[in-house]
Amino acid sequence: MKKRLYIELENCIGCRSCLAACTQCGGHEQRNRNYVYDVNPHVSRQTMPLMCLHCENPACARSCPAQAIQIHETGAVLSALVEKCIGCQNCTIACPYGIPKFDEEENLMYKCDLCIDRTKDGIPPMCASVCPSNTLQWLTEEEIERKQQQYDLDNGKWVTSMPYLEGATNVKVNLPGILQGTEKLF
Amino acid sequence: MAETALRKPVKVAHSYNGAFASKFAKSMFTTVTLLVILSFIGTRMFTHVDLNLYGYMVGTFVFLGGFFYRFIAWGERPPTKIIITKGIKLMFRKSTPKTSVEHLATYKFIWNRGIYRWTQHVMLGWGCILSCLVTFPLVFGWMYFTMDEGGYYTVVAMGVNVMTVDADGIIAFFFYNALNFTAIMVIIGVCMALYRRLKNMQARAEQKFMYDFLPLYLLLFISITGLILTFMNVFLHGAGHYAMSMIHQYSVVVTLIYLPFGKLAHIPFRPLSVFARNYREHYGEQSMKKCKVCGDEFVSTEQSQDVINVLGTNEMDFTMEKDGFNLAELCLPCRRKYRIARFSGFATHEVKTKEANQNAKG
Repeated sequence: MKKRLYIELENCIGCRSCLAACTQCGGHEQRNRNYVYDVNPHVSRQTMPLMCLHCENPACARSCPAQAIQIHETGAVLSALVEKCIGCQNCTIACPYGIPKFDEEENLMYKCDLCIDRTKDGIPPMCASVCPSNTLQWLTEEEIERKQQQYDLDNGKWVTSMPYLEGATNVKVNLPGILQGTEKLF
Repeated sequence: MAETALRKPVKVAHSYNGAFASKFAKSMFTTVTLLVILSFIGTRMFTHVDLNLYGYMVGTFVFLGGFFYRFIAWGERPPTKIIITKGIKLMFRKSTPKTSVEHLATYKFIWNRGIYRWTQHVMLGWGCILSCLVTFPLVFGWMYFTMDEGGYYTVVAMGVNVMTVDADGIIAFFFYNALNFTAIMVIIGVCMALYRRLKNMQARAEQKFMYDFLPLYLLLFISITGLILTFMNVFLHGAGHYAMSMIHQYSVVVTLIYLPFGKLAHIPFRPLSVFARNYREHYGEQSMKKCKVCGDEFVSTEQSQDVINVLGTNEMDFTMEKDGFNLAELCLPCRRKYRIARFSGFATHEVKTKEANQNAKG
């Protein structure tokens, strides 16, 4: 059954397990490809993870002159093919979320590949399999739909603050409950 | 004014370009004509064509067809077109020779990816390049041998007698065995690559037979059949030579035809990495883009604008009306923080603080 990465942002406790797990994925060569940010660094401890969202129409691949960024049949937007990447760094400029990293020494871009060696066989990516607070989850379409219904009151009173993504993505994100206007206030 | 003139050169109808129905036709015609002219000169008016090798010649022409088809189609993609046109314009930078040697000859960037992969790539890459440098001059008659005096070969290059070597001497030995040495190099490289593909987890996850293994097997097949030819001549008194030479020839022709379409296509396309480096260096020296949020310089103004335009041709526009910037005008940390701001509703990107601990180092 097809599963997706699903991110419940408000659950994040900032432990950075996902970063550590990312370094251990086969082929990631001890370097993590994801991020965890403090929302309001000097005031609160709230953190949120930022992963590649695996856009359905990825700007990184569209801007690549060498067609080095391939899209896997599972929808994962893969890291640059090593033999094709020419090191122009267009992808790092094009990505609306600032995800791709670039290694100057190796003249090579690298980004989250959704642990394709695992997810192509239905095994959750490293980050989701270690997340202790269920921020990163590996769910089926039905489970994600049920989650989203739970947050959508559709009573005309509560709306999200603003559109928060630039396009359709394979990774699904939900905004913190407080913004969704549910009763989940803390 | 000068800059606009540079960017939009006035198009002069060129009579040569006008003679062809397409870019493909022009490239094909020009290249084939050039090869024929070079052969005409090299073979002293076609008097020294080695017809034993004519299969390779036909293979080369078919390869050129595939190569131009693939390369021209690829060059029409908007981001590729930008790198190619600007790369050609910036070809004669002072740093070009150094960059070219590092990217195309010594593979310094692969060295930085690991010594194993570098050794493998040098063996494969230089094995193939040297083989081509030996084979194609022989095929097109740019180089051949004559024996005017018994026991001494005269090396003729482009129709000119270059040197006379002792047929049993050390130099002649290297001439005869050049392809044997390169075959051994290729075999070592292929074996290293196959071993890595069987052991490396990332490679095992992503590799496909047709894309990753087939080119290796093709190279291996060419090298082994080539070595068998030598073996047959040296130890079997030439028994089976003709059959094997046809097998070898067909394997080379098939590989040539396949070359522009599979993984091996990165060989002719690789000079683009020199273009890309020049593009970044040149426009980086001209003017750097300041991040619209933190003010750090992060990329050349030119590239930032090019990416915005390329995304525009793909109907993607990341202009944030409310905040007054395009996402391509934000440095990477600010762009990430801006996304957190969009998730949370709090303007994270406006807090002047360094991003904390993103490297999983405790």
